Amino acid sequence: MIGAVWRFLTSLTTFAWVGLFFCAAGAAGSVAMGRYPELFSDMDAQILVGWFARKGFAAPGPTLWLYGLLLATALLAVNATCCTVDRLVPIFRGNVTLRRLLPHVVHLAFLGVVLSHLAGAMYGDRIPGLAVPEGGFVPVGETGWVLELNRLDVAMAPEGYPRDFSAAVTLYRDVTPVARGVVRANEPLFHEGYGVYLKTFGPTPWGAPYAVFDANRDPGAVAILACSVLFTVANLLVLVTAGGDDA
Amino acid sequence: MVGAHLVLFWLSLVAYGAEAGLQLGGIRPASPRRSALFGGLLLHALFLGVRWVLSGHAPMAGLFESLTVFSFCTALSAFFLCGTEGTMSAWMPLSVLVALPQAGAALLDKRLTPLYPALDTPWFATHVGLSFLGYGLFAAGLALSWTYLRHGGDEVYRAAGRSALYGFSAFSAGMVCGGIWAFYAWGSYWIWTPKEIWSVVLWVYYAALTHLKFLPAGRGWPGWGRRLEMQATAAGYFVMLATFLGVSLLLRSSHSF
Repeated sequence: MIGAVWRFLTSLTTFAWVGLFFCAAGAAGSVAMGRYPELFSDMDAQILVGWFARKGFAAPGPTLWLYGLLLATALLAVNATCCTVDRLVPIFRGNVTLRRLLPHVVHLAFLGVVLSHLAGAMYGDRIPGLAVPEGGFVPVGETGWVLELNRLDVAMAPEGYPRDFSAAVTLYRDVTPVARGVVRANEPLFHEGYGVYLKTFGPTPWGAPYAVFDANRDPGAVAILACSVLFTVANLLVLVTAGGDDA
Repeated sequence: MVGAHLVLFWLSLVAYGAEAGLQLGGIRPASPRRSALFGGLLLHALFLGVRWVLSGHAPMAGLFESLTVFSFCTALSAFFLCGTEGTMSAWMPLSVLVALPQAGAALLDKRLTPLYPALDTPWFATHVGLSFLGYGLFAAGLALSWTYLRHGGDEVYRAAGRSALYGFSAFSAGMVCGGIWAFYAWGSYWIWTPKEIWSVVLWVYYAALTHLKFLPAGRGWPGWGRRLEMQATAAGYFVMLATFLGVSLLLRSSHSF
C-alpha cells in the first residue's frame, strides 16, 4: 500500500495528469474571473488566505477552479519533492555528477518558490488604497505608522501621458519620523518588511494634488527571489551540461 | 527618420513573404544564410534597433510591437533550431509562422508611443524579450513537430524536443524577470489576472511536455510515444497563442500582450 502511494507520488504519469488538470483549472479560472468581476476584482487587495476564507467558502461554485488550481499546485510540489527524494538516494550511492544533480536542484527551487508563496499568502499583509492629499497624513493599516505626502511631482508628456510621477513621503510612528524617501513607479519605499508603492495620483475636488499608495508586506519575498534565481541558473546549467543532447 | 524606419519593417515583411512563397512553391534555399528569411531577419533586426533608439524604449509595447517581435523571435528560432540540412525541411511551415504575425502587425497602428512610467525599467525588456524568445521557440516546435508527423526523421524529432526545452527555459527566465518587476512595481510577485494564470498554464504545459520525454513508450499513458509527443508539441503553440493573444483580445486582463 505504502509502495503504491510512493509510486503514485513519484510518477511522471501523475505529474502529466496533474499538469493537465492544472491547465484545465487555470483556463476555467481565467474565464470565471471575467464572468464574476464582483467576486474576483479584490483578489489582489488582500493576502490569498484572507480572500479565500471570505470569498472561497462563500461562493464555492465560481471559485471551484481555484480549489482545483491550489490542489494541483500542491500535488505538483509534492510530486517534484518525492521524485527528487526518490532519485537522490541512488545518485549519492553511485556516480554523483552535476548533470544528474541539476534537475533535482530545479525541483527543489520550484518547491522553494511554492512554499515561499504560501508563506506570503498566509502571513503577508496588504494595505491598499491609502489616499492622501499633498501635505496630508494617512494611517497605514494596523502598523501604527502614519504616512505623510510631503510633495507630489508629475511630469506630463505633450500627448497627455504621465511621463514620470514621484512622491516625497515620510513615515511616522507617533510623531517620530522612522523612514523618509521618494516613491515612484518601480521604486517603492521599504521599511521593516513593508513596501510603500505609489499607485496613482490626481487632483482633489478642491484642487490640491493627492496620491494613492499601497503598503504590502510579503515575508516570502526574499526566498521567492532566491529560489527563482536558483531555478533559472540550474535550468540554464541543465541546458549547458546537456550540450547537443535532448536533455 | 520616424516614418523612414518603417521602410525596414515593410522590407522585412516582403523578405519573409518571399521566403514563405518560395517554400510553398517547393523552392528551397541552398543554405540558411543564403535565404530570403536571413535577409528579412537582418532587416527586421535593424528595424527593431532603430525603433528602440527612436522611441527610447524596447519596442515591445502594444500589439504592433508585440506581433513584430514575435515574428522576429520566430525567424531567429529557424536559425537556432533548424539550421541543418535535416531540419531545414521545417522551414516551409516555419516561414509561414514568421510571415503571419508580421503581416498582422502591418495592419496595425505603427506610431511610436511613450512608455507608461511603470514600464520604464530594464525588467520590461528582459521579461518581454525572454517571453517572446520562448514564444518563437514554441513556434519552431510547431513547425518541427508538423514536419515530423508528415515525414518523420530523428533529427527533426530531436530538434522539436529542444524547441520545447529551450522555449520552456527562456519562458521560465522571462517569468522570473516579470515576477521581480511586479514586486518592485506593485508589491507582489504574483497578481491574479487571466494573463498571469495563462502564463503559468503555459509554463506547466511545457514543464509536463519536457518531462514526458522520459516516460517509457506505452507505459502509464497508453499510446504515448513519439507521435503523441509531437502532437503535444504542436498543440503547445496554440496554448502559447491563447496566452499571448487570446487573453488580451478575448478576456479582460490588466496585463496585456
